[in-house]
Amino acid sequence: MKLLRGVYEGPQSYGILRVAASIRGVHALLRALPGEAYFRTLHGARERSGEMAPVTLSPLREGRDSSMAPGNLVRDLSGVVRRHPKTEIVILVRSEASLLAGETIPATTLPEVEGTGRPPELVKFPWEEPAMRETEAAELALEDLIRARMHDRPERSPYPTVNLFGPPIFGPGAMAEYAEAERLLDMVGVEVNARVPLGANTGDLGRLPRAWVNVLLYREVGESATLYLQDEFGMPRVTTPMIGAAGTGAALRAVGELCQLDPKSVQRTIWAELARTAKLPWYARLEPPETFQNRRVAIFGDFTYPLGLGYALAREVGLEVTACGTYLTHLERDFLFHAHTFTEGAFVEDDPDEVAARIEAAKPDLVVGTHLEQGVADSLGVPFLPLCPPVADRPFVGRPLMGYAGSSVLADALDNALRRASVEPAGEAGMQWTDGALQEAAEVPLFLRGRARRLAEERARRQGSGMVTRDIFLESRS
Amino acid sequence: MTILNESGIPDVLPPLHAVNGLAERLPDVLVVVVGTQAEAHLVQCLSAVPSPNLPPSRRDQRVIFAIIDPNDPPQQGLLASRIVESAAGLRGTSLVLLVAGRTAESLGVDAEFEARLVARKLDLPSEVVNPDAPREVPGILSTDLEDRVLTVLVNLCPKRKTSDLVETASPAKRGGLFGGLLGRGIEPSDSNDGRPVVLLGGTLKPGAAQGLAAELSRAGVEVAGAVPGSGMGELPPLGEGTVVAVMDPNLTSAATAAERRGATVVKTLMPVGVDGTARFVQDVAEEAGTRISEVARARSAWEDLGVLRNRIRGKRIFFTGDTGLEIPLARFLADAGAVVLEVGAPRLDRRFLAAELQALGPDVDVVVSPDYRGQTNRIDESRPDIVISSPGLHLPLVARGHLCRSPRDFLEAGLYGYGGARRILELLVRTMDRAETLDSLNL
Repeated sequence: MKLLRGVYEGPQSYGILRVAASIRGVHALLRALPGEAYFRTLHGARERSGEMAPVTLSPLREGRDSSMAPGNLVRDLSGVVRRHPKTEIVILVRSEASLLAGETIPATTLPEVEGTGRPPELVKFPWEEPAMRETEAAELALEDLIRARMHDRPERSPYPTVNLFGPPIFGPGAMAEYAEAERLLDMVGVEVNARVPLGANTGDLGRLPRAWVNVLLYREVGESATLYLQDEFGMPRVTTPMIGAAGTGAALRAVGELCQLDPKSVQRTIWAELARTAKLPWYARLEPPETFQNRRVAIFGDFTYPLGLGYALAREVGLEVTACGTYLTHLERDFLFHAHTFTEGAFVEDDPDEVAARIEAAKPDLVVGTHLEQGVADSLGVPFLPLCPPVADRPFVGRPLMGYAGSSVLADALDNALRRASVEPAGEAGMQWTDGALQEAAEVPLFLRGRARRLAEERARRQGSGMVTRDIFLESRS
Repeated sequence: MTILNESGIPDVLPPLHAVNGLAERLPDVLVVVVGTQAEAHLVQCLSAVPSPNLPPSRRDQRVIFAIIDPNDPPQQGLLASRIVESAAGLRGTSLVLLVAGRTAESLGVDAEFEARLVARKLDLPSEVVNPDAPREVPGILSTDLEDRVLTVLVNLCPKRKTSDLVETASPAKRGGLFGGLLGRGIEPSDSNDGRPVVLLGGTLKPGAAQGLAAELSRAGVEVAGAVPGSGMGELPPLGEGTVVAVMDPNLTSAATAAERRGATVVKTLMPVGVDGTARFVQDVAEEAGTRISEVARARSAWEDLGVLRNRIRGKRIFFTGDTGLEIPLARFLADAGAVVLEVGAPRLDRRFLAAELQALGPDVDVVVSPDYRGQTNRIDESRPDIVISSPGLHLPLVARGHLCRSPRDFLEAGLYGYGGARRILELLVRTMDRAETLDSLNL
């Protein structure tokens, strides 16, 4: 049991629904209490496209089932087929309450769709369990959906093509990430066979083996699906995060090699892009070294983003990464292995308060994180860049962080954050605290402590006291 | 009026979403949501007052999630001691609420026991709120958690003793939320006979109760306070001899709790709209021992609304149903001349809402547990002028070209009393005006 003030990930059902809602032609039947069905509302509010999420609730009811009201699983499944005749895959997702209630799922087949004479595919996830989290479930669900569509072995395409495995729906600028990767691959002469999961349809899933290579933009969700395709069809993978100019270049060269492209022509494209689009190396060269010298940055997020950003900020920009963490506890070993290449401060933690404490201990001048890190950045009074999912903003125009265009977005963000930070006067150090005041401060929740401390010192200064006493501290908090 | 039951899946925002809003509204309460990752994620994703444009969820330090690992359920008492540790850092806590529903139960957490333990260790009241507890009438409303929390607060109100009766009746001793306000009002004609009134509701709009209290004190009724009022410290005495005036139609269990304590719950219209407010003031005053007539007041209020009514007359309005506030709103708008096409009621307690249902015009259809897909089709067919929609349907309906407002917008604007009646109509007129301006643009 844990007492937390926030969570980074949703439950497993949420992860599966994110993948399902990313792929056209998939409809999810969510078995849940009526009070657990928030995906549709959230989908509307986050996507703001006006489309209804392809999710139907099958309410978990108490007592005997005698009425014709929704709640009977078999009937609800056929209802989905009847109401959504264009659906090709129906998936059954169970909420935590449903899993904990220990319901048995009846073996059932779907009725035929009128007109076509064949039923849609029914995909169930026997591995669902209430302790599982969003990302892990999304990863497994994507693999299962792909497996379900592998009826035959499609021919490899005659010219080099790749599949992009990127973030699912609700990722910050998820669509823009795919678009940027596709633009760059197109430029080196490789066609994109499918974008998975966001933007794919059920037909694309069956045609994945046409491609020569799988490019993993977002390992968190694509990992096990691409491993399956590697084992089954011998498709190689490119796993370098396409973040920063160096990462993007490495990924493009790897694709070029696997697709037997002329390395010189790939390199020429990369150079052209470095001259035209990629502004991060240009920014790093333009700024005087003092801008970055002894500047510490703390990064926290999922897997791809903190690693990619950490590498770019440490190597390409020259900031000191004093903390870099992930909340994906199931990827702990991988994460630490990669993060150790650019920082001493790698950690894995899923309690926002502990994360705040780690970040505070790293004494950063810049915090890059999820929307939950806003508080600690504010309390430390340092600039904050919400670049890692989950983030709260939902722009109408998504901007990529990956690829060369993404590196320019990153350069702009850094430029703004670091310039603003250098204008602010450095906080006066050396204010004394009495023991009583320190004791009181220790009781403040971690993510608010920095701010409380700053307010107390300000108040002491205003009162002309060189010392923060218990009374001053309490006054500043009231 | 016709009532149909569609037995569908209504589009209702999960009641748990209200945790953030309640924590903000009751600043001395620590809320602990007990469950799995799912509950925590839901509460975090759906913020205080969800409009179609959900603002980023703020983290409130008075909301804590107790996430239980299903593979390793905690020993009895561990939850309580962890809560006690967390509460230590928070100043001014006067109540600990454990929100523990069906998941907590299936995980084997005895929330009642933990709450008692917390209460003993912290020497503070600590109560369990079960959002999934069965109700007499099936169905959920997005405001269910508010109802449950108000039930807890009602039970925490001091019970009035006979010796206090004289004290609190004298204006000098009356402090609290309405003290100043009442001092200026007309004194009750006979303060020994008059029974004090407690207002119940107005949870999400701070100050909603004040307006009604002013209205009642103008009529010569003593208002002792409101639940939730402005916090634990100012809960009014509530027990035998108290008259409870319910402001919201969705507070069924809170009203029942008040009745169980021996208070008289006034069965009348909700104070929404002109006639609703008039009946409310009149009936509450009568129950409190003052006979007044609001007819003249209501007539002048209707006259004042003349221009706005002309704008609303004949407009066709559809309520999909979410908060439970739709029924009094529909009643008022039908009285004001609008054509109400359908009122969705995810849950309808006919006994509790008897007065409201009786007052609904003859042409209004109430659909119990409506199906959201059926509603969408009916909306497409009938093309209403305005849809008062639940959050889940809002964007899809706007995308289909309908003009939508959330029932919460009315709550935000303040819909109670005579002033509220004006604000309701103004809000609708403003919505239509803006749509017209946008429609006239040549894009």
